[in-house]
Amino acid sequence: MRAVCWHGKHDVRVDEVADPQIVSKGDVIVKVALTCICGSDLHLYNGYVPTMKKGDILGHEFVGEVVEAGSGVTRFHVGDRVIVPFPISCGVCWYCKHELWSLCDNSNPNSWMLEHLYGDTGGGIFGYSHMYGGFSGGQAEYVRVPFADVGLEKIPDGIPYEQVVLLTDICPTGYQAADNCNINPGDTVAVWGCGPVGLMAMMSARHLGAERVIGIDRFPDRLQMAHSQCQAEVLNYEEVDVAEALQNMTGGRGPDSCIDAVGLEAVGTGIEGIYDSVKQTLRLENDRASALRQLTKACRKGGTLSIVGVYSGFIDKFPMGAIFAKGLTLHAGQAHVHKYLPHLLKLVQEQQLNPSSIITHRLPLEEAPRGYKTFLNKQDACIKIVLNPQAQGAAATPGSEQASAG
Amino acid sequence: MDPSETERSQSREWRRETRVNVGPAERKASVIGGAALAVSGLRCISKRNYASGLAMMLAGGMFLYRGQTGHCGIYDAMGVDTVHTHNSALTIEKAVTIGLPPNEVYEFWRNLENLPRFMRHLESVQVTGARTSHWKAVGPGGISAEWDAEMMEDVPGQQISWHSVGEADVPNKGSVEFREAPGYRGTEVKVTIDYYPPGGGAGRAAAKLAQGINSQQLEEDLKRLKQILEVGEETTARRTVQ
Repeated sequence: MRAVCWHGKHDVRVDEVADPQIVSKGDVIVKVALTCICGSDLHLYNGYVPTMKKGDILGHEFVGEVVEAGSGVTRFHVGDRVIVPFPISCGVCWYCKHELWSLCDNSNPNSWMLEHLYGDTGGGIFGYSHMYGGFSGGQAEYVRVPFADVGLEKIPDGIPYEQVVLLTDICPTGYQAADNCNINPGDTVAVWGCGPVGLMAMMSARHLGAERVIGIDRFPDRLQMAHSQCQAEVLNYEEVDVAEALQNMTGGRGPDSCIDAVGLEAVGTGIEGIYDSVKQTLRLENDRASALRQLTKACRKGGTLSIVGVYSGFIDKFPMGAIFAKGLTLHAGQAHVHKYLPHLLKLVQEQQLNPSSIITHRLPLEEAPRGYKTFLNKQDACIKIVLNPQAQGAAATPGSEQASAG
Repeated sequence: MDPSETERSQSREWRRETRVNVGPAERKASVIGGAALAVSGLRCISKRNYASGLAMMLAGGMFLYRGQTGHCGIYDAMGVDTVHTHNSALTIEKAVTIGLPPNEVYEFWRNLENLPRFMRHLESVQVTGARTSHWKAVGPGGISAEWDAEMMEDVPGQQISWHSVGEADVPNKGSVEFREAPGYRGTEVKVTIDYYPPGGGAGRAAAKLAQGINSQQLEEDLKRLKQILEVGEETTARRTVQ
C-alpha cells in the first residue's frame, strides 16, 4: 500500500510499504477514506519530537471502513464506517475506567522511554513517534487499529466522512480545552492560536455558553476565520500588547479562561522571541513558551489556563509567581477523545456543530509532501488539509466534490 | 521496536568502580544531554560557527564521558557522590499496580513457568520439584546463563521469594510482594532482585548478561505483566504478523 512516511526533518514521502495485518484478536484493519495533517504532525515534520525513525508512517486523524476484523472484535463488522480516535486506549485499566482515555496504562509499549524524563507517560498514539508507542499512522491506504471495540465509533448512515473526520482529534481536543474552563454564563474565553484546534476551542466555548470569545493570532486569514466561523473578537499579537488589550476589553479584569492552542513552537515577538529561539536551537530549552507567558499574564485572578498545544520538555522564564499570586488553575494534556466522541457526533448530526467548515484543502495522498509544506508555511490561507488515499490523479481544489458518504 | 537495540545507557554499578560517583538516572541524563549537545556542536561547526560549535562539543563530550564512566571530576572536587554503594550485590526494585485482586496476580506469578512471558531476559523456567526450578536466561549477543533456583517463602496472595542454588552463572535472589491497593485499584506488586555478578575473566559473559538485567528492564517487564493480566496479552505496535 501507499503511505506517508517520515524520512527526516522537512522530509516526508509517499512510499510503497507492506499492507497491515491483524496482529491481535482485538484488531481491525481500516481502509482509510480520509485522513488529515494535524498541527502536531508539524512538530514531527520540524524535528522537535525525538524517537522518530526513518520510514515511520505518519498520521493520527483518520476515518474509513472496516475491511477485516480480529476474532475478538464484537462491536464492528466488515463494511462498518468508523471514526478512529487518535489516542489508543485499552478500555480496562484504571485510567480508561476513569475516562482518562489518553492516559491509558497499557496501550504504549514504549512507555519506559519517557519514564525518566516525565516520571510516567500517556498511552499510545497512531503515527506519533516511538515514545508514543511506535504505532503506524493513518496517512496510508490501510491501518491496523488495536483495541477496536474500545475506541471506535460507528458513523451513522448518510453522514459523509468529511463531516466527521475532525472528530478524530482536533474537534474533541478543542472541546476538551473549553470543557476544562468550566465556563459560566457571562464568561469571556480567550484563545491563543487560531489554527484548527483554536477554532474548535472557540466554537466549543461558544457552544458551552461563553458570552464572548477572543481569538489571538498573527495571520489575518486565520483571524478572519475565527471571526466568521466562531463569532470571535480578534487580536493580532504582532500589532498590540495582548495582555493590555485583553484587560481593556474586559473592564480591567482579564479573560475568565485562557486557552493555549499554540504549544511549543510559539513564535514570540521582540527580545523574548529571540531569547526562546536561541535557547531552543542550542537545546538549552525544548519548548518556546511565549504564548504560555501571555496567557498567565492576561488571565483574570482565580481563572483557568487550559493548555492543549503540545509541549515536550522544559521551558524557561515561566511566570510561576503570577500563577501563585493570581491563584490560577492549570489544565493540560492530550484529549480524551473517547469521552467526547458520542456527544460530539450527536452535535454534528443535529447540525449544532460544523467542524468541517474549517477544511480549506483537499488533496490526494500523493500530494502529502506538498501539503505538509503548505500547512507549515501557512500558505494559500491553509487552515486544515484533508488527504484522500483512495483518490487517484490530480489534486482536488477547495470546494470541489466532497468524499462520498459510502 | 526491540528494546535491546535501543541506545539506553546501562547501569554499570556491578563494576563497582570506586571512581563512580554519578548515580544511574543522572548518568542516563548525562549521556542523552551530552549526545544532543555534541551533535548541535557539530551542526554549528558545519555552519562555520567554530567557537560555539567547539564549546558545545566540549561540554557535550564532558557530559558523555560523565554518563558513560559514571565519574564526574567536578563532583570529585566537591566530594559529591550520588551512587548508593552496595557491598557486592546489584539490587533492583520496582513496583507496579495491576487492576486484579492479589490472589489472581499471585497465582499467575506462582506458576514460575509464566515468568518468561513478561521477563525479557528469561528464555525459560522449568518447574523441577515442589520448591525447585531450573532457569535459563539469554543476554546480548546470544550469551546465555542457567541456574537452579529454590523457593524460600510462599505465602498465597502475599509473597513469593526464591534464590539460586549451587553453581549459578549469575547468583541471584528475588522476592515479590502482593498487596491490595487502596481505593479498589487492584494489587500493588513490588519486586526486589539481587544479583551477584561474579568477578574475573570467567565472569565476563555473566557480567554482560547482568548488564541487561537492570531496573529499566524490570520496569518494562512489570508493564508487560500488567498488560498480560489486564488486557490478556502484551501490547504491540507491530503492523504485520512476523
